[in-house]
Amino acid sequence: MNAPAAPMPEIKRYTGVMDYLTTIDHKKIGMMYLWFVIVMGLIGGAFAGMIRIQLALPGAVLEATNAATLNGTTAPYSWFSENRHLYNQIVTMHASVMIFFTIIPGFIGFANYIVPLMIGARDMAFPKLNAFGFWLLIPSAVLMMSSFFVKGGAAASGWTAYPPLSLEGMGTDPGQDMWVMGVHLAGVSSILAAINFIVTICNMRAPGMTWSKLPLFAWATLFTSIIQLLATPVLAAAVTMILMDRNFGTTFTVASQGGDPVLYQHIFWVYSHPAVYIMILPGFGAISHIFAAFSSKKIFGYMGMVIALGTITVVGFMVWAHHMFTVGMPTYLQAYFMYASLVIGVPTGIKVFSWLATMWGGNLRFTAPMKFACGFIGTFTIGGFGGLILAMVPTDITFQDSYFVVGHFHMVLVGGSTMLLFAMAYYWWPKMTGRMLNEKCASWVFWLMLSGVMICFMTMHVTGALGMARRVPVYYADFKLLNHLTTLGYLLTFASALLFFIQLVASYFKPATAGADPWKINDLQQSFEWATSSPPPAYNFEVVPPIPVADQMEKPH
Amino acid sequence: MMTCITFIRAGLLALAFVLPLMAVDAAAETPEAASSAVATPTVNELVATFNPDLFGLAADNKTPKTPITNMFTAPASDIAREVLDNTLLNTLVFLPFLILPLVLLFYVMYRFRDRQDGRKAATFMGNHTLEIVWTAIPCLALLVVSVPVWQVLWKMELPPANAKDALNIEVRGKKFAWDYKYQDYQLGIGQDLVGVQEPLVLAKGRTTMMYITSNDVNHAWWVPAFGVKRDAIIGRYTNIWFTPDTLGFFKGQCAELCGAGHGIMVISAVVVSPERFKDYLTIQRHRSEVLAVWKLLQPSAATVDHDALATAVAAYFQKGRSTERELALRYWIASNYASVARVRQLDMTPAQVSARGVERCALLDQTLSQSVAVANVTLTN
Repeated sequence: MNAPAAPMPEIKRYTGVMDYLTTIDHKKIGMMYLWFVIVMGLIGGAFAGMIRIQLALPGAVLEATNAATLNGTTAPYSWFSENRHLYNQIVTMHASVMIFFTIIPGFIGFANYIVPLMIGARDMAFPKLNAFGFWLLIPSAVLMMSSFFVKGGAAASGWTAYPPLSLEGMGTDPGQDMWVMGVHLAGVSSILAAINFIVTICNMRAPGMTWSKLPLFAWATLFTSIIQLLATPVLAAAVTMILMDRNFGTTFTVASQGGDPVLYQHIFWVYSHPAVYIMILPGFGAISHIFAAFSSKKIFGYMGMVIALGTITVVGFMVWAHHMFTVGMPTYLQAYFMYASLVIGVPTGIKVFSWLATMWGGNLRFTAPMKFACGFIGTFTIGGFGGLILAMVPTDITFQDSYFVVGHFHMVLVGGSTMLLFAMAYYWWPKMTGRMLNEKCASWVFWLMLSGVMICFMTMHVTGALGMARRVPVYYADFKLLNHLTTLGYLLTFASALLFFIQLVASYFKPATAGADPWKINDLQQSFEWATSSPPPAYNFEVVPPIPVADQMEKPH
Repeated sequence: MMTCITFIRAGLLALAFVLPLMAVDAAAETPEAASSAVATPTVNELVATFNPDLFGLAADNKTPKTPITNMFTAPASDIAREVLDNTLLNTLVFLPFLILPLVLLFYVMYRFRDRQDGRKAATFMGNHTLEIVWTAIPCLALLVVSVPVWQVLWKMELPPANAKDALNIEVRGKKFAWDYKYQDYQLGIGQDLVGVQEPLVLAKGRTTMMYITSNDVNHAWWVPAFGVKRDAIIGRYTNIWFTPDTLGFFKGQCAELCGAGHGIMVISAVVVSPERFKDYLTIQRHRSEVLAVWKLLQPSAATVDHDALATAVAAYFQKGRSTERELALRYWIASNYASVARVRQLDMTPAQVSARGVERCALLDQTLSQSVAVANVTLTN
């Protein structure tokens, strides 16, 4: 005998803005992530612009300023000559915005949208957690941005927040505390997303999609999520030490009371080195699909790619102290961290060669995503080469905290991660909005981006090798020309980002006419996201997608 | 071995795309190198050597008087040479992994582009042999570089055992300048009388050991040409050593974000011959004793009281008169004038300060020769 069925609760459906504020649909959340990221990216880019403008003005040259003071003439103009503290705030915020609010959530946004589609799921495992994770980013960003307007201004100790510098203004200037809280919120958001992806990928694959058939982007997201889950709490621990030292009288990093500033550096980099893989691994996965799709081939060496991703994940946790070769570590430790860092080059090399082999023998169509993917190989190889050079301790000791390092990680983060994000955007935008993006405009975005990246960051390598230190608002006259070149490169890069933004906005004014498979690739690729309409309906698939998915590997002969 | 490394270096420098840019900075001939042949230097030569103008501009008022040098174009210590050779070796070994993917990329993009001719794409999805090869070869490359770098690493860590006469220097970073203490001579230097960072003076060919620490936040001591860098951290000493082997004036900058003045926290070092270094020590020893004389001669004093000057000079020589003490006195007056002429003060232009300096130095020389006469008179009486 059955109890009378309880009436179904009435579900209130909103439209418009309220729909987005209340949604738990992974696709809408993914889109919100991406728009958040684009806006934050432009803000971060504007910060970079302020840095570049300061370094391009005549007042940034030490000798010129000095000579003018001596001769009693007006000192040459520069933005931050009166307020170098503000310059440090801008430098700190440029990095924080780009890392915590642009590149990391950028990949999370794409994964949010695409991974459930790719594995044939109807949503993420924890949809509400997913929405919560996104909405945490907003107060986090607001906290960090608004700290410019409090007493003492925003955090000015660099994104690494090394104590004792980050302990300054203790008890009076809340900027650094707001930065710490912002990092905490972004960290929680990151951990929640990671848990969600791990559970989703482990449990919600379509029946028949075994691990050996899992698309590489899902694999990469899984590995990235593992890194996020394990490493982000360590970052929280590090910045909590700063917070406690600043506000509650602890002495974790206060040398005069038994603490150790270097302790913080170690704990910080235990997170922040794996974080660089959070910022690129998902892109590694996605770009494999792009190469395969536009070469009309299948991914070369699927299993090797998965193993390489896994190796990078594991070894990535073991190399943190290569950021601190100048703090005076024991030599054996330096040697260990050097060799471990070099080892990471091997799986990365496997991936690059496998991408080239994926293209080999194919029928290459240079669509917008493919252009960015090829450009990525070029810039990333250069950035990776710089990484190998930097891994060697004796060389690194000279390059540490010079512009060479700045050039290196921008080559990898802009030439690498940002190129990847652009490639992924062009590749999946038709799927996400149903609208194709203009190829000609995309071509402009690509060439501006590539030339900007090469001019800006290649020059930085040279500037650093010649002896210019990092994070300085003024420099010796010898570096003037090189800094002007870098600024030129910046202008090109920023123009490209702006054009990209305009293109995305403009695309909404076109009709959504892209079919389910706008790139005409799915006959060969058989990836689930192309099997549903563009944009996909709220439930993704009417029926669980057809099985079996194609094998990723060649059958043994 | 050396020929091999020289060859590698030459080849790589030619390959380096940065060569034309770097060549600008090369060949930093120093006036000191030329003057060191002279047996007894004049006071002005000493001032130019020990108190060079960090921000000085050349005649065109644009290019710096002494360009900043670096490890790659002008290595100036044994460590820098060692590191440079190792860097070039590593670069050579790693270079194929830069060139090969790029060449392959362009080749593949050209050869396999879609020509709209109905060509069928290949269908292979893997090749175990190939994958093993491109895993194994990078591993081999790593093995190749791992041994020499190990040697250089240990060399940088352990100073040579025979460095008995090493120069021990405590380096102390503070916002936003450096204090140096010559521990072997109980000598401390830091900022000159107008608050400008003084250069660290080192002897050519003499192993220098540095014990680096900080008074406040983290700093890092870095002179690119010496190929060394170490963080200055409060509560601990970090060590570096190197043997400067080139005469000259070397510039650097603090290399760890340390607050608002990070950019202006400059570093400079002067490498001089061992004889000249002896002069430097002499001069430094008498530094505090010249203050009474300096007060009378300083640029803010519009006129000089000749009697008071004679008394002050006599007081200075109370402890005994020697060429050394005389040199120190003359040096400091001239050097202080050079320092004052580098900051804007007293509504005097640098030229006016310098002119007054020349005048006052002459006056001092005159007083000195008179006091010599007096001394002689006293002796004969």
